[in-house]
Amino acid sequence: MSAAALSGNAPIGRRALLKFAGLAGAAAMLPLSGCGATPGTQNGLTTLRFMQNKPEVVAYFNQVIKDFEALNPDIRVIQDFNEGNFVPGLVRNDPPDVVTRGFAQATADFVKKGIFADLSDMQVAATIDPKMQELISSWGQYNGNEVSALPFSLAAAGVIYNRDIFEAKGVAVPTTWDEFVAACETFKAAGIAPIYGTYKDPWTLSQGMFDYVAGGSLDVAEFFSRLTARGADISADAPESFANNFGPALPKMLQLASFAQNGAASKNYADGNAAFAKGQAAMYLQGPWALSQLVAANKGIRLGSFPLPVTNNPEDTKARVNVDMALAITRNTPNMAAAQRFVNYLLEPSVVNTYNEKNAAFSPLKDAPAVDNPQISGLGASVKEARYYQGAGTYLPPSVPLNNYVQSFVYGKNGEQFLAALDDEWRRVAERTAV
Amino acid sequence: MTTTSRVAQTAPPAGRNTPTSAPAKTETFRSKNRIDPAYYWMMVPVLALFAFFITLPALVGVFFSLTNYAGYGDWKFIGLSNYVNIFKDPAVLQSYIFTFVFALTTTVVVNIVALAIALGLNAKIKWRTGIRTVFFIPMVLSALIVSFVFNYLFSNTLPVLAERFGVTPLATSILANENLAWLAIVLVTVWQAAPGATIIYLAGLQSVPSEVYEAADLDGAGSFRQFLSLTLPLILGYLVINVILGFKGFLGAYEIIVGLTGGGPGMATQSVAMRIFSGFTGGDYSYQMANAVIYFLITLLISVIQLRLIQRRGVSL
Repeated sequence: MSAAALSGNAPIGRRALLKFAGLAGAAAMLPLSGCGATPGTQNGLTTLRFMQNKPEVVAYFNQVIKDFEALNPDIRVIQDFNEGNFVPGLVRNDPPDVVTRGFAQATADFVKKGIFADLSDMQVAATIDPKMQELISSWGQYNGNEVSALPFSLAAAGVIYNRDIFEAKGVAVPTTWDEFVAACETFKAAGIAPIYGTYKDPWTLSQGMFDYVAGGSLDVAEFFSRLTARGADISADAPESFANNFGPALPKMLQLASFAQNGAASKNYADGNAAFAKGQAAMYLQGPWALSQLVAANKGIRLGSFPLPVTNNPEDTKARVNVDMALAITRNTPNMAAAQRFVNYLLEPSVVNTYNEKNAAFSPLKDAPAVDNPQISGLGASVKEARYYQGAGTYLPPSVPLNNYVQSFVYGKNGEQFLAALDDEWRRVAERTAV
Repeated sequence: MTTTSRVAQTAPPAGRNTPTSAPAKTETFRSKNRIDPAYYWMMVPVLALFAFFITLPALVGVFFSLTNYAGYGDWKFIGLSNYVNIFKDPAVLQSYIFTFVFALTTTVVVNIVALAIALGLNAKIKWRTGIRTVFFIPMVLSALIVSFVFNYLFSNTLPVLAERFGVTPLATSILANENLAWLAIVLVTVWQAAPGATIIYLAGLQSVPSEVYEAADLDGAGSFRQFLSLTLPLILGYLVINVILGFKGFLGAYEIIVGLTGGGPGMATQSVAMRIFSGFTGGDYSYQMANAVIYFLITLLISVIQLRLIQRRGVSL
């Protein structure tokens, strides 16, 4: 019958053709909808999706996963290092089971929206240094008491210095602001750029100059909690404003900027790594992420780090830290038990301490051994004694282009305008997110 | 007799051929007065794809501009407050001013440069084909790659040369100068966009018959007068097309700015497209969707005005 219709007169034939095309189209869609489904439990084998955000440690985690699977033959773990998939995964309601991300404003926002499960009753949570856990909970806890993420790796940043140049000029690691300025003057007099500036990449300015001076001169966490509590009702003359708190720190930021080499405005981060590795400056305001790049550019370079002293009391000196990786389990995962076993394994001392040792970072475990890597050991005391802060820049929502404002400030040196702009931006974001 | 003649007339259709000839008749009728359905079969899939991938997402964006949606998680309706907040945001206003100043300047410069090149390439010069090829190379390269290359030239090569020859104002990268960075963006955009406009102008110049120039020569018109009174009016349609297409394209400026300055130094070169895109990564989705709706309405208004101008000039796109 249908064959007759197909070979019959033209209008019906066209219609049948269209029907056929529609069926073929629908058939083509079927496998697509099949792709979206989560691989769950099949023949007693649970499949976990583990998302991490650092392409350079994929090999390390592949080894970790292999060891874990050998001990837990009923679980299979797939590593996914494309963090860009995370939000689309949430939108599709198909997020990874275990996630590790840098913990700052963006991840805190996920916590506030209840994306992550509560890990407070996991035994391994008790092995974490409470001061480091506080770095996460200070961003706000879901339902007021949940532990949504456990720190896995803490990156501490300060001033990276070239040990050879320091020794050649007889300069000791400064412990006060005055000593630091004197060291810079010494290098300047000797024709060496004290600090290598890479102002073309504005993030390096806010990560280094802005965060270091702000963190050293005021209590950043307390400032932002008061500012957040004030909500949208903020203006430049309120006691909680940027204008009324950051003012004293600004001259030191500009002084720091003035110690950079000539032409810092046209150098970017990659230029900076290449130049500093060649010994073109004594100091570099960068975190541990730059170390491997510097060594890659010059194998023989001897590097050290120290926290930037911003006052003349050595007790005040603090390091800038960020929770580089925080482990979390998504709330709606169907494989909660397996996911918890995997998180437990990741936080075993042999796994987490080895990872941090290899990556110039600090382990979050209470009884982690002292760091002996000479590149970062200068920051060890600050981390051990919890003399640290999270960068002021990381507290601002990503819709505030802080890096660009900092760059404007360094070029134009107009501090009042800079702080007024931050107050305005903060108020506008608070206004539109409060409703 | 009448009956037979009637039968003789109607018999052949009534007898064997009724089923085929009746549709044949309607088909000829159709082809005369209606559009061939084949055109619909060509149009409908495209229309469906366009509606599904362009119109529908745009409408979803309009819908979410009335909410406080961050791109994920909970949301609720907040009415027009996103729109109200946009008008109170000096950063957004600044991006609009930058984008329009940039688009106007670039359109003017691109058209002057392209017309000059087209006139040169249309003249009887040596190695015309080879030189034409050289001028069209920028069009083949990706804008992002071009801007990264220029970024290197502006930041490294140019300052070194300027220092050697004592040109102090250029000794630091102009990309690091808040007042001059936009000129660098104009320069690179012109470099990249001029060949496309040149092609259109060349086509226009080749459509001008040589007789009019011969006549003008006889009348004693100089070459400048010939350009002003003959060439320009005769290729005016091409000029209008270039201005409209160029201006529309430059309003969406994005990749060259990203490659050169990333919106900096400071906030000096943030285009509207960059602000809108920042909403996807900044958790500011609904706010920037409101911005996008406003920008859409503005560009729509400009397009309508331009279409009116075109129709008055008797040009069709």
